[in-house]
Amino acid sequence: MRTKDNSRIIASVETVAKQIVLIIIALALATIFLAVSGYEPFAIVEGIWNSLTVDIAGTIRWMTPLALSGLAVCVTYKAEVFNLGVDGQIYMGASAAAAVALFVPESLNQGVSLVFIFLAAMAAGAAFAMIPALMKVYLNTNEIVSTLLLNFVAELFVEYLVTGPLRDPSEGTNLNASEILSENTWLPRLSYFQPSTANVGFYIAVIVMIILAFVFYKTAFGHEIKIVGANPTLARYAGMKPKKTIFQVMALSGMIGGIVGAIEVTAVQHRLLTGFNPDFGMTGIVVTLLANNNPIGVLFSGAFFGAIHNGGINMERLTSVPSAVTDIVTGIIFLMIGAKFVLPRLKKLAAEKKSTGKGGN
Amino acid sequence: MAAAVEMLNISKFYPGVVATDHVSFSVDEGQILGLIGENGAGKSTMMNMLYGMTEPDIGTIKLFGREVRIQSPNMAIKLGIGMVHQHFMLMPNLTVLQNIILGNTPTKNGLIDIKTAKEKINKIMETYDLPVNLDEKIYQLSVGEKQRVEIIKALYREAKILILDEPTAVLTPTETDKLLEVLRQLKEQGVTIIFITHKLREVMAITDKIVVMRKGLVTGTLSTDEARTDSLSDMMVGRKVNLDIPRNDYAPGEKVLEVKGLCALNQRGLPALKGVDLYVRKGEIVGIAGVEGNGQTELIETISGMLRPTAGEIIFKGNDVTTCSVRERREQGMSHIPEDRLKMGSAKECSIRDNMILNRYYQKPYCRAGVLDSRKLLELSEKLCRDFEVKTPNSEYKLGTLSGGNMQKVIFAREMEANPDFLIAAQPTRGVDIGAIESIHHKIVEVRDSGRGVLLVSAELDEILSLSDRILVMYEGEIMAEFKRGEADERTIAEYMTGSKRQTEKGGQD
Repeated sequence: MRTKDNSRIIASVETVAKQIVLIIIALALATIFLAVSGYEPFAIVEGIWNSLTVDIAGTIRWMTPLALSGLAVCVTYKAEVFNLGVDGQIYMGASAAAAVALFVPESLNQGVSLVFIFLAAMAAGAAFAMIPALMKVYLNTNEIVSTLLLNFVAELFVEYLVTGPLRDPSEGTNLNASEILSENTWLPRLSYFQPSTANVGFYIAVIVMIILAFVFYKTAFGHEIKIVGANPTLARYAGMKPKKTIFQVMALSGMIGGIVGAIEVTAVQHRLLTGFNPDFGMTGIVVTLLANNNPIGVLFSGAFFGAIHNGGINMERLTSVPSAVTDIVTGIIFLMIGAKFVLPRLKKLAAEKKSTGKGGN
Repeated sequence: MAAAVEMLNISKFYPGVVATDHVSFSVDEGQILGLIGENGAGKSTMMNMLYGMTEPDIGTIKLFGREVRIQSPNMAIKLGIGMVHQHFMLMPNLTVLQNIILGNTPTKNGLIDIKTAKEKINKIMETYDLPVNLDEKIYQLSVGEKQRVEIIKALYREAKILILDEPTAVLTPTETDKLLEVLRQLKEQGVTIIFITHKLREVMAITDKIVVMRKGLVTGTLSTDEARTDSLSDMMVGRKVNLDIPRNDYAPGEKVLEVKGLCALNQRGLPALKGVDLYVRKGEIVGIAGVEGNGQTELIETISGMLRPTAGEIIFKGNDVTTCSVRERREQGMSHIPEDRLKMGSAKECSIRDNMILNRYYQKPYCRAGVLDSRKLLELSEKLCRDFEVKTPNSEYKLGTLSGGNMQKVIFAREMEANPDFLIAAQPTRGVDIGAIESIHHKIVEVRDSGRGVLLVSAELDEILSLSDRILVMYEGEIMAEFKRGEADERTIAEYMTGSKRQTEKGGQD
């Protein structure tokens, strides 16, 4: 038994080491890019360094939505369902959160109103995730396409709300946004990190991560998700209901997306507005991929991407380097994770060409 | 005569396992070599290395005297090696012609040159007497015809060395005879053949030379003239094998399963079952004989609850279960060994434990309020591994690390642990070795002797004949005939299997 435990630890250390190498390569390539384009070459590295030292607050602010989005993607991915629609669920969650927050009376206790807000956001996210789930189960629609397209619907829905029914009625506002929410609906920020917008959402992310890890590894439902993901025919044969599992993981994912929306509205923006979401859901895919789809790992890779994002913003503020450069890092990591599957094949192909070429002579 | 293939001192190591240990053998040009051995003996590893799916860690491969490194199937094909896999590598929705020229398409002015291709294929079909209709879609073909297409495909790519991996496992006796005839023809034309099989009769009938492997070693190389069946099987298993299983007297009890007028559609929406009536009593094994694809799959799936019948009813232990879910049927005492253990019966990427606990993971005492008791579940799977002699260090290993026979043991263990009243055993010994066949057959007879019912579906007539108390023959979704044990021989049953004969009245109302 002891040898087995060791081999497991070695395996996980290996995985972590590999991911770190990926990160280093991505940073190196981005640095070269900066140097070639005539920017300050070490801007990104410096930005990340600062994010992890002097401006840890900013990192925590960004890692919260990123880690949660990563978890939302991770849940469905375990069942081999690819939810590219976390962004849409975030928009829907944010809309529901804002609507409820604007609706509850100002006299209501803060805790109670937040419970209502978060429940509404989770319900909205889950309901929105049901659309692609229904389409997949009953119409055999590819969820990659449907979830992706529904993101636009949700984004435009938010735009509709803030230019129409929920638009701030006070005059002189050119911003497409709702009114500022009353303070009893605000999710508290972390006082230690004032004046940053780092907030209690961080704890929510940790709790969601713990719940998911428990669900995946310790419950019958987790076992069903695993089997459905590994072999849906086996699941059916063993008496599970893969269709139900698809609904369940999509609902769970939608709830987490809804939570992200609620956090952004109630803790960071204090109102609903367009463009509050810099594609958290899409970055969430890379977050969970880098974490090898392990919920505990997602928290760390969420922290890394949070640091990059935060570093990028600081970088833009302090130097002439645009923050979009950090997207390059994300993109390279995404490509390299993809290359893990592609490279060995290319290598083999090359070897093959060489060998048969020789054989022909 | 020069050796066409020489595999010299080949060793291949997998983590913790020596798959082949300094294995050497050779085949002369125009010879048929029979490569036999239990599963996990290293036959497939040897052939995978020859076909470029993996490379040897030690040792050299020579083709026609020239040393080669084969790094991919594509290279193997270019070097003149063709392989007919046990599971065919054909595109069901393409025509025979399209499948044959796929990946090796003759072109003229940038367009596919169908005329040249057809000429070449027709010539092959004539030379080797391999008739197939080139314009038919693959899914319309019988298994035997598909295999012929695979052989033509290999020859079309100018294979001089042909590897056949258990080619007769899916064939009827008649089709097997035809295949053996084709192999003789190929041999006459100078093709070198490596024939992997478990069936000693075929090895004796067709090969020139036999190599026996066991546990990664060659335990015997002999010319077929010198070989004797019993000594070969001893060499394969390393001990005496007895497939004659003692059984209690036939004393069937009440009906445990009854199926009346069952109709069902297959995946393409065509009728696959056309009013099947059958019953299984306690203490008997009912064998379903038939060429694959004649409704057996749909029969199993409707009985187990995975497929909804379009008409008819299923009565299990006196209750109508026609609309019950899979889980409800399982909980009432139905177990099911699926015909395809990889596609349906297991998850390769999951651990042995995960596969072992599928009937129990949600039940007390293994699970309380939805929370798994990991320790109890691990104990359960460790115990089952011991009881059913699954060869693995512990059950945390991935299922995919096991050989076919051991995987089947895992499935068998899981299904028997549920203590069923009725067992569906579909192709229970497909692709497993003689040693494992022996133990699986013993277990099936044990189930019967302990007063439970078994529905055995198998493409192996031998298996049906040696295990069943009653034999039903299925053809195109109908029961064509019923025989009692010992009433019919292989030839008679084969006639009903191919639909050329039918019992006028349904028998068996005793």
